[in-house]
Amino acid sequence: MSSEPLLRLENIEKRFGGLIVLHEQSFSVSAGEILGLVGPNGSGKTTTINVISGVLRANSGRILFEGKEIRNQPIFRIARLGINRSFQVPKCFRAMSARENIEVAATFGAHAPVDVDAILDEIGLLRHAGEPAGSLTVNQQKMLDLGRALATNPRLLLIDEIGAGLNPSELGAIAALLKSLAARGIALIVVEHLLEFLNRITDRVIVLGAGRMLFEGSLAEASRHPDVVAAFIGG
Amino acid sequence: MALLEYALVGGILYGVFFSLVGIGLNLVFGVMRMINLAHGQFIMLGGFGAYLLSSHLGLNPVFGIPLAVAGGIVIGWPLYYAVVPRLQRSNDPEMLSFILFFGIAQVIEAVTLLVFGADQHSLPDSALGSGNIGVLGQDFPDSWWVAVAVSVLCIGGLYLYLSSTRLGFATRAIMADRDEARTTGIDVDRVAAIAFVIGLSLAGIAGVFVPYMVGSVSPSIGGGLTTTSFAIIIIGSLGNPLGTVVGGLVFGIGTMLMQTYYASWSNLVPYALLLVIVLIRPSGLLGKAVRSA
Amino acid sequence: MRNATGGTRYAVAVLATLAVAFVALPQVYGNQSVLFTMMTYMALAQGLNLVYGFTGYLPFGYVGFFGTGAYACSILVTFTGLPVLLCVIGGGLAALLIGLILGPLLRLSGAYFSIANLAASQIIYYVVSNEALKPLTGGPYGIKIDQVFAPTASYAAMLVVLLLTTALAAYFRLSRFGLGLRAMHQNPISAAVAGVNIVRARLVVWLVSATVAGLIGGVYAWNLSVFYPDAVFTLEISVFAIVFALFGGVGTVIGPLLGAGLLYTFYAAIGVSTPQYFQLLYGSLIVFLVLFLPNGLVSLLVRRKLHVL
Repeated sequence: MSSEPLLRLENIEKRFGGLIVLHEQSFSVSAGEILGLVGPNGSGKTTTINVISGVLRANSGRILFEGKEIRNQPIFRIARLGINRSFQVPKCFRAMSARENIEVAATFGAHAPVDVDAILDEIGLLRHAGEPAGSLTVNQQKMLDLGRALATNPRLLLIDEIGAGLNPSELGAIAALLKSLAARGIALIVVEHLLEFLNRITDRVIVLGAGRMLFEGSLAEASRHPDVVAAFIGG
Repeated sequence: MALLEYALVGGILYGVFFSLVGIGLNLVFGVMRMINLAHGQFIMLGGFGAYLLSSHLGLNPVFGIPLAVAGGIVIGWPLYYAVVPRLQRSNDPEMLSFILFFGIAQVIEAVTLLVFGADQHSLPDSALGSGNIGVLGQDFPDSWWVAVAVSVLCIGGLYLYLSSTRLGFATRAIMADRDEARTTGIDVDRVAAIAFVIGLSLAGIAGVFVPYMVGSVSPSIGGGLTTTSFAIIIIGSLGNPLGTVVGGLVFGIGTMLMQTYYASWSNLVPYALLLVIVLIRPSGLLGKAVRSA
Repeated sequence: MRNATGGTRYAVAVLATLAVAFVALPQVYGNQSVLFTMMTYMALAQGLNLVYGFTGYLPFGYVGFFGTGAYACSILVTFTGLPVLLCVIGGGLAALLIGLILGPLLRLSGAYFSIANLAASQIIYYVVSNEALKPLTGGPYGIKIDQVFAPTASYAAMLVVLLLTTALAAYFRLSRFGLGLRAMHQNPISAAVAGVNIVRARLVVWLVSATVAGLIGGVYAWNLSVFYPDAVFTLEISVFAIVFALFGGVGTVIGPLLGAGLLYTFYAAIGVSTPQYFQLLYGSLIVFLVLFLPNGLVSLLVRRKLHVL
């Protein structure tokens, strides 16, 4: 692992009108690392992911990917650089088959040829490859959304609340999948409400409260930190 | 100087009336998030209602006002329940409703053509008073002042309805957030259907005075009135019915100035205003009109 | 893609059918001008389909490009004396230029885009038909290029433009570029995250569609050779193109052709003499389509598991 982190945020600020939703965010992630992002609703977790993936533009600060500034790049270019994401509410191409969903990303987002079948297998949808995405269950669509992200050969993957609504065995499978992705050298930022789930895949978390970073460290310490406790109870 | 004063005073009168022309479209958009592309045709129907009353029954055209309200109820209520809930469940309510109302516009125009023919009809000048009333030394026909007074009453009435009645409060809640309003127990479809009826009635009332303000009514005027209305509500504030007054005044004064100084280009005014505004300040004045990606 | 060769064969078959039909029809049906106008509307419906069917942007002012092409071509014929085919291409380029100027409209969402585009076409119409431009455009008195009048040659040219437009639709349907368009149409943000350059893709489609309309307008002007501004700027042209495309089914190659072919035949039979009845018919048809058959006639074929290009 090189000393230079894969992604570094420096003093990122995001405002909606007069409302500051991200305050001076600075943190970094290295290749193969899993970083958890936790906090109450409205604390800025999803906004952080949106800003990194280009879906929203930060107002100030720097976002460095492999040392290169990407803050003002369009979404598709960030995707081609190797940053991808899943959505909390899966956004699939509903009228296209599961296979075509993966093919879009493999065609436009990846630099090297992608084994579409391998990805369909990995997300458990190989048997459903020919079905339109809109006819899959919500959980299957979540997996397809993740598969779409994987098909761009990302080096940084942003995962937004993938655990919600999954049963324990499905959660176990996802945890194993995310860990295997990290083992391949992919860096992951995982936004999650289910702390128990997060605990299974990483020990390093950042706690956000009202757009500010309250804490950075292990999940166990976080639960004892007074600011964090106040944010969760207060928020 | 007299020319300029004439243009300014006339522009204000014209603009107040055109606020009424546009306001129904804006109310319907605010509540239903749908563009009633048949808006101009409903205005045109109001004009023909007044024409029928005065030419066939010998009544004063102002009786077109209650007729417009009755027409708004008779057409609007069933039309809302027949198409809107179904459209709102579809995969693209914005475009599908746009196209559907366009179809309705074509049906109205065709039926009017079949019944009345393509001719232009005007209303008797004297019906709304045959004199002139002057302001700052500029004279305008009585009919203009009646149209302006009715416009002010209608817009004021809508303001009171929205600001101080229970239904109006529910209407504003729906404008702010339709889904949120539903979860708080508001019967969204009923309130929206009433707003749709009000929107159509206001269009019809405006139509009663179109023959006086524009010169005549004919089946083909609907399309132009829809675009003009759309320009006006975009200049004002989309989804906020009272912002329409600002748009109406800008349009009215702009049109009168052009008619005074560059007459042959004056029909460009609403289209040019619309285009300039969406191109220069798409987010500022339009809010939700801009795509997120 | 998996079906690429089968799809290409299908596309070639569609193009060949069109070509054979419009070469053969004048032999059995005497009124060539009806056939010419039918091709014009087929091409316009297909050109509109390029942008509406593949991006979801409904260009209500599509006629603006058509009229621009017609006038640019006529002005070039009048003032330059270039070969008429070059003037037709000039019509396409003029429409392309207007498309570039209106490019920022693509930032707007659905209905706003449509109305702004409509306003743009009205502005072009009022400018072209203005008395002040009489030396250039003839203003309200129209323009005359009867020195190049050539019904058969312009008929052939319209067929070529129709084939070109249809080939473009097939390309949008079958190519890698088209895969990105379909993804973008269904969910623009996801498409961007998947690596599709959505801003560029939209602009390309928009400009292609505008250029095609300009070419159609240029050939139309050549065929007409004398016309008033109303004849090439009436909103009815946009309206017909929209209705025909919707009726057949947008986002497909054969839908707009079927829709325009069937409805224009009907129009030629009853609409020319009694336009109000035709207007009533297509108005009702639109309402019916939106409520019950939003994907047009071809969706009936798809339901029967027939492959539709």
